[in-house]
Amino acid sequence: MDLEQQLGQDSVGRPSFVNIDDEWRSATGSGVRVAIVDSGIDVSHPELKGRVVGSVEARLESSRVVFDPSASGDSAGHGTACAGIIAKIAPDCKLFSIKVLGAAGLGDGQAFLAGLEFAIKERFKVINLSLGTTKPQFFNPLHDLLDRAYQAGCIVVAAANNLPHPSFPSVFSSSLISVIKSSETDPLNFGFHFGQVIELTAPGVNIRTPWLEKGYRTLTGNSFACPHIVGIIARLLERYPDMTPFQVKSALYAIAGENQGRIESPEAD
Amino acid sequence: MPPTDGTNLEEKLGRLIETIDVANILTEPLTRSLTRLLEISASELNSEEASVLIREGSDGDLRFLAAIGKVAEQLINIKVPAGKGIAGFVMSSGQPMAVSDVGEETSFYSEVDRTTGYSTQMILATPLSHNGEIIGVLEYINRRGTPPFEPFSPVEMDRAALFAEAIASLVNAYESAKLFRDFGERVLGGDGGHDVGLVRDWLHKLRGSDDHREMMDLAVLVREVASRGDAERDLCRSILESVLRYSDSRTDTSYLSL
Repeated sequence: MDLEQQLGQDSVGRPSFVNIDDEWRSATGSGVRVAIVDSGIDVSHPELKGRVVGSVEARLESSRVVFDPSASGDSAGHGTACAGIIAKIAPDCKLFSIKVLGAAGLGDGQAFLAGLEFAIKERFKVINLSLGTTKPQFFNPLHDLLDRAYQAGCIVVAAANNLPHPSFPSVFSSSLISVIKSSETDPLNFGFHFGQVIELTAPGVNIRTPWLEKGYRTLTGNSFACPHIVGIIARLLERYPDMTPFQVKSALYAIAGENQGRIESPEAD
Repeated sequence: MPPTDGTNLEEKLGRLIETIDVANILTEPLTRSLTRLLEISASELNSEEASVLIREGSDGDLRFLAAIGKVAEQLINIKVPAGKGIAGFVMSSGQPMAVSDVGEETSFYSEVDRTTGYSTQMILATPLSHNGEIIGVLEYINRRGTPPFEPFSPVEMDRAALFAEAIASLVNAYESAKLFRDFGERVLGGDGGHDVGLVRDWLHKLRGSDDHREMMDLAVLVREVASRGDAERDLCRSILESVLRYSDSRTDTSYLSL
């Protein structure tokens, strides 16, 4: 037995007590409720038909943001693109659209915060946040919301911003899972880089995914790395529905260990 | 504007005109610098077209401020409604993205393409951020040469983000200068209580005055020094601040405290 085995570590220094079985690989995310806080979802897209169980959209009512049932679809294509990526990895999860972009008269940050709060109140098990903000005034409210999400057992997954400045919430490493794009082509091949501001890497370069008008686009951005991880988490949760955010992160850490060696370095490094 | 006597009003308007003219002098080279930066960055990214869109109003609408490429002139001042197209999304979400097959969608891009006769196939769009606020969008369209084009790479996205930082500072300076100018024009244009002809004569007189001309010359001089480099800028600032301190010590008024 070599030293690493004696210490209970694998060759990349991960403790061997974090083991996860391979059942998630054949899972489809069945029954897992996933919220996408974005520009809406085009529910009529052939890839998404029957997969979106509900849609709401933000509206301003005397300086408060309220959410009404929405039939307006997607205003930009981005939310549909994210939903398409999740549906490809976890086709049986229950997608829910929380539209915060495209509403008239709403400040971007205000609607974004309200959308996240709505998702937490509704106890969605996984929340896809491919949006972000660099506005300093949102630092504290976002931090509070993410703590609430953590305590409520909601797993929030956020895309890192490509800007030279830190963006929120992706820099909050303790209470959410933040993702940056890699050039990896296998959708399940993600990486975990403990100690870096953005810990997870997932495919986000030239991703072909559903778009408006029943079309498809080939897209690059951290926005599209984030839903890959959401899909994988939906698969994990199908097998282990009661996993806490902490356990999910540990599981991702363990799986990334298995992926190690196959994953490329993140492009933004 | 609060009610005031004639002398006071004249003084205030005079100050306003000076501000407007300084703002004009400052904004014109800013848009030229923007265009130059677009040229450099587009060449770096091997992109055919590049443009800067800035926010228009507070609802997330955008307007083309500067552009380079075949249809640059047609693009200037075209408006993008809030949330429309990739630029609209990047503006409202703050997330950079690249699309390598824009294709023939009946979206904002086809409308712009119909206007300009251009064929948008690939886009790299990154937000322009200043002090945490998204103030516009930087776009690169297509590659140089003929299709099929190589998609924009993640490294190029990172490079675009760096150019975006420099461009955002210029856009911010432009917006500040424009704010002064618009404000001045609104005050002058919106005051129905004054005889327009009189105001115009007075304006003419003011702009023709030696004092005003000297101030404009000074503004041009400062701009020229500022364009020479960091060392020149630092030196200029420190000299000017010394002059102001000296002036403050001799009089009660300071333009900095107005």
